[in-house]
Amino acid sequence: MDTTVFVPVTDTDTLANGQLAVRARGLTKTYGSGEAQVRALDGVDVDFAEGRFTAIMGPSGSGKSTLMHLLAGLDSATAGQAFLGTTEITGLGDKALTRLRRDRVGFVFQQFNLLPMFTARDNITLPLQLAGAKVDTEWLDTLVRTLGLEQRLEHRPSELSGGQQQRVAIARALIAQPDVVFADEPTGNLDSRSGAEVLSFLRRSVRELGRTIIMVTHDPTAAAYADRVVLIADGRIAGEISDPTPEAVLAGLDALRSLEGPVADDGTQAGA
Amino acid sequence: MLQITLAQMRRSSGRLAAAGIAIVIGTAFVAATLLASGVITRTAYDSIAARYADADLVVGATWEDPITDVTALGDVDGVAAVAPMGALDIELAAGSRSVYQSAIATADERLMPLQTTAGSMPAHEGEIALPADVADRLGLEVGEQVDLTRYQSTDDDWQQVTEQPTVVGLLDDPYGAYSRTGGAAVIDADTFATWVAEDMGADPGATEVAVALAPGAAERAVQAALAQVVGGTTDLADARWVVPIDERAAHVAASLTGGEDLMFLIFVLTFASIALVVAGLVIANTFQVLVAQRARTLALLRCVGANKAQVGRSVLTEAAILGAISSAGGVLLGMLLGQVALWVAHAMDVSVPLPDAIAVTWQVVVIPFVVGTLVTVGAALVPARVATRVAPLAALRPTDAPSASRRAGRVRLVLSLLAAVVGFGLLAVGAVLGTVAQDPTFGLLAGIAGGAISFVGVAVGAVFWLPRVAALAGRLVGASGATARLASANTLRNPRRTAATSTALLIGVTLVAMMSTGAASARTSLTEALDEQFPVDVLVSSTTYDDDGTAVPLSDELRAGIVGTDGVAAISAVAKVGLETPDLVQTEDGQLETAGAASGEPWTIEVSGVDPQAARAVLRNPDVFDGLAPGTILLGTSFAGQMSLEEGDSLVLRGPDGSASFTVAVSETDPYATFVAWDDLASLAGEPPVTEVYVGLTDSADAASVVAAVQDVVSDSGASAQVLGIAVERAEYDRVIDTMLAIVLGLLAVAVVIALIGVANTLSLSVIERRKESATLRAIGLSKAQLRGMLAIEGLLIAGVGALLGIALGLAYGWAGSAAALGVMGDVTLSVPWRDVTLVLAIALVAGLVASVAPARTALKASPVEALAAE
Repeated sequence: MDTTVFVPVTDTDTLANGQLAVRARGLTKTYGSGEAQVRALDGVDVDFAEGRFTAIMGPSGSGKSTLMHLLAGLDSATAGQAFLGTTEITGLGDKALTRLRRDRVGFVFQQFNLLPMFTARDNITLPLQLAGAKVDTEWLDTLVRTLGLEQRLEHRPSELSGGQQQRVAIARALIAQPDVVFADEPTGNLDSRSGAEVLSFLRRSVRELGRTIIMVTHDPTAAAYADRVVLIADGRIAGEISDPTPEAVLAGLDALRSLEGPVADDGTQAGA
Repeated sequence: MLQITLAQMRRSSGRLAAAGIAIVIGTAFVAATLLASGVITRTAYDSIAARYADADLVVGATWEDPITDVTALGDVDGVAAVAPMGALDIELAAGSRSVYQSAIATADERLMPLQTTAGSMPAHEGEIALPADVADRLGLEVGEQVDLTRYQSTDDDWQQVTEQPTVVGLLDDPYGAYSRTGGAAVIDADTFATWVAEDMGADPGATEVAVALAPGAAERAVQAALAQVVGGTTDLADARWVVPIDERAAHVAASLTGGEDLMFLIFVLTFASIALVVAGLVIANTFQVLVAQRARTLALLRCVGANKAQVGRSVLTEAAILGAISSAGGVLLGMLLGQVALWVAHAMDVSVPLPDAIAVTWQVVVIPFVVGTLVTVGAALVPARVATRVAPLAALRPTDAPSASRRAGRVRLVLSLLAAVVGFGLLAVGAVLGTVAQDPTFGLLAGIAGGAISFVGVAVGAVFWLPRVAALAGRLVGASGATARLASANTLRNPRRTAATSTALLIGVTLVAMMSTGAASARTSLTEALDEQFPVDVLVSSTTYDDDGTAVPLSDELRAGIVGTDGVAAISAVAKVGLETPDLVQTEDGQLETAGAASGEPWTIEVSGVDPQAARAVLRNPDVFDGLAPGTILLGTSFAGQMSLEEGDSLVLRGPDGSASFTVAVSETDPYATFVAWDDLASLAGEPPVTEVYVGLTDSADAASVVAAVQDVVSDSGASAQVLGIAVERAEYDRVIDTMLAIVLGLLAVAVVIALIGVANTLSLSVIERRKESATLRAIGLSKAQLRGMLAIEGLLIAGVGALLGIALGLAYGWAGSAAALGVMGDVTLSVPWRDVTLVLAIALVAGLVASVAPARTALKASPVEALAAE
């Protein structure tokens, strides 16, 4: 199976900007033990460059979510290393991980996960408040303007549309100027128009604001907004596509499926 | 459906257990109350039955037609011994000590409830057996003589007869037969009969005769035979009767405690019902949340065909099962508490003989069980209705569980406002009636009604205003940082739940604060009233008079002895001397007229001389001597009126050494005051004789023991003087108030404890609901300590707001109640019982903190990854 790679892995990101935002080496995650042991991630090596918008794609159960959890310091690896910049996050304690998440990582969730009792503004600035840091009003203004939230700042989540809520969540993820933002199926709960809107905002934050975004998705259209798509299957990197179009991503996925057809069922069962 | 209910209960067992504790405590309270009431009745019964010792039957007659021939009863076949029941009042004295004492006659040992611990029972005239503690108090031992005073009836009066019997035995009262009357001495039966006859003027006969049966005698047959001899029946209601001892004892016990134990029962059950109401609030809250959490499951049930009634019934069944289990646990706990209390009482050797074990009647088991179950089911009614409202469609919606909280109804708002307005209005009317109109009866009635109505309004309307107060408090707290802001925002997310939780605490705290305030105000007002009327702690006054009617002065040694007594701060001497008023004469019809304008006898007034400085230092209320200075006479309103004198007038007084003119100052406090300065009196009547001494006690002194010590000093000096200890009365009032307050607060504490369990319950339920949100917060950088802090602040807010508002309300109620009840005693001083109030607040806050510990642990178990999980 180690040869069933559709597109050869090229280290495009190391060539592009030189600086790496996130790095994984031999990253492995297993659940259970003995007979019931499941390998969700199996020795993954992957790099993500600064200032890029990368999509991680794969069929459900392929291990893409597990990869993101490990890279973001939300879960602990069974083996291997993950780095945020030069910091090795595998092996950090809860306190250090909490600080890391607060100061250097942003999250965008599928279900927005805004606090219902706070206004949009409070939700956006929450990470800074938790850190006891001052709000950079200039940066806040820039974010709000870029995301088109000027008229919505004093509204509560229940008074916002799904697309608006997700834009607030993006602003929240970016407010602390993190090294990297992880987005987990950010369009999963949105209609296609709002989804497209959110995706272009994500792309704008990379292009115009210079942020680094890693997005997990199973939607080829969404993945096409990224600069680069990393394909993952059965817990391993299965290839990648640079400057993807929806058609290219779809073709890549199809190729993955047809090549791995006989084992796809197992992979689905094995996935976390 | 039952299986589904049970399965759901298993899943929520932790949450239900926490709510169940509230019901357990509430029902345990009710069960323990019923048990205690039973013990009181039982104790009374036992002590009455004890008087009959081992008698089997008792023969009774009326006062008008007593049994005169007791010996005839003894002759009846099967009767082994008879003894007329009755007691005689005598006075015993030895040295300077004396006691009043009941005495009974010797009897067959089967009919004698008292036992000798030393010596023997008296056999002849001139012998007496005394209760061991009485002999101890009088300093007597077996073989010594005691002075006995009894009464002999004369033609139109009684005269005292003194005897000097020898103490031949010391007595113990193992069954408490005479514990209600302070024990009983024993005199031989013949002497007893003679003395009773002399006291009453003639042999009074017996109204009750205890009968012991011979071994093997048939009780029924002897009962019938006795009834025939006395010409009575076997029915207690008749004029003459013969009944078994238990029947008679039960009858007397019922008549003795009839009102008392019922009052006790109602009193304590009031508090038990408060505890149950609070428990009901906690239960209602729990079920609201359970229903909200299970909305998906309930909707699914509706989808697969369960109808509304079935869903609602499922919730009620769950409540019934929870209620039944918790109530059963409560009954067991109550019985355990009752038994432990008895053991403790036995270990402490209380003077009242108590039964060894609690008497478990069906009421003790059934009443708390039924009430506890009903309260639980009743509390689940609203959540059950909410459950029926869950639409089947909700199962298909991926959104968050629909909240159980609706907007509180307009009807509720109007009703609660109305109740609050009317109630507080009535409360104000009560306070006005009590203070201005001086009508404590109607004042109290209006006050109680107003208090109850307004409190219902406040509690029912809590959902409207309590969250706002919490918001305000939250805003204050929230300024301190993000964690606090999160916490305060959280408490407002579910206003209904926050309101219900805080209200549960509010009820308990309000009542605690009300009782403390009432007690503090009552104590201050009573003390002030006492100080005003009896400004002296202890008054020692001479009671012997010379032939010419002047009091014999108290000796210097006696005064020195009093000053030297422990606990005495200072004394002030008072001299009373009769002085003539040359300007006034008393006419034949008793009126006072100006001398010269009318003819009559010279008028003499008894004037008290005090040293104003010394007297002020000793008095509780020094204002009494405000107007007193050299050259003035302080006249009470009564005397001033009699002599037609007003403030500023002058009055000439003449004594053996001369005369002087005094300016009149009128005293409002004591209508019979006639005070002049000591030196003024001395210049008119020579060195005045000290006939009274004001004694001031130190603040820390135990009034009762100091007064007793002063009494001893007076007795030992041989002087004939009266010791009047107002301080004892004052201390007694304090003790009564303190004891009652302690009991009431102890009872209310149960409600507070239940409410605090409710706070913990609410917090843990919120934490479960907010699992995903906690994970999100953790993911975006909330540290574990911050999460813990957030929940701690939530606990503090819920508990603190409930406690603070409760204290405020309690103060208002306590003050209004005091004004209504105590207004008639004069100015009501509204006191704040700072100590109690601070304690309640501290307990509530600490409990709020503690309540957040377990929920925080649950919340921390949520991994940040859960934030990413799609529902």
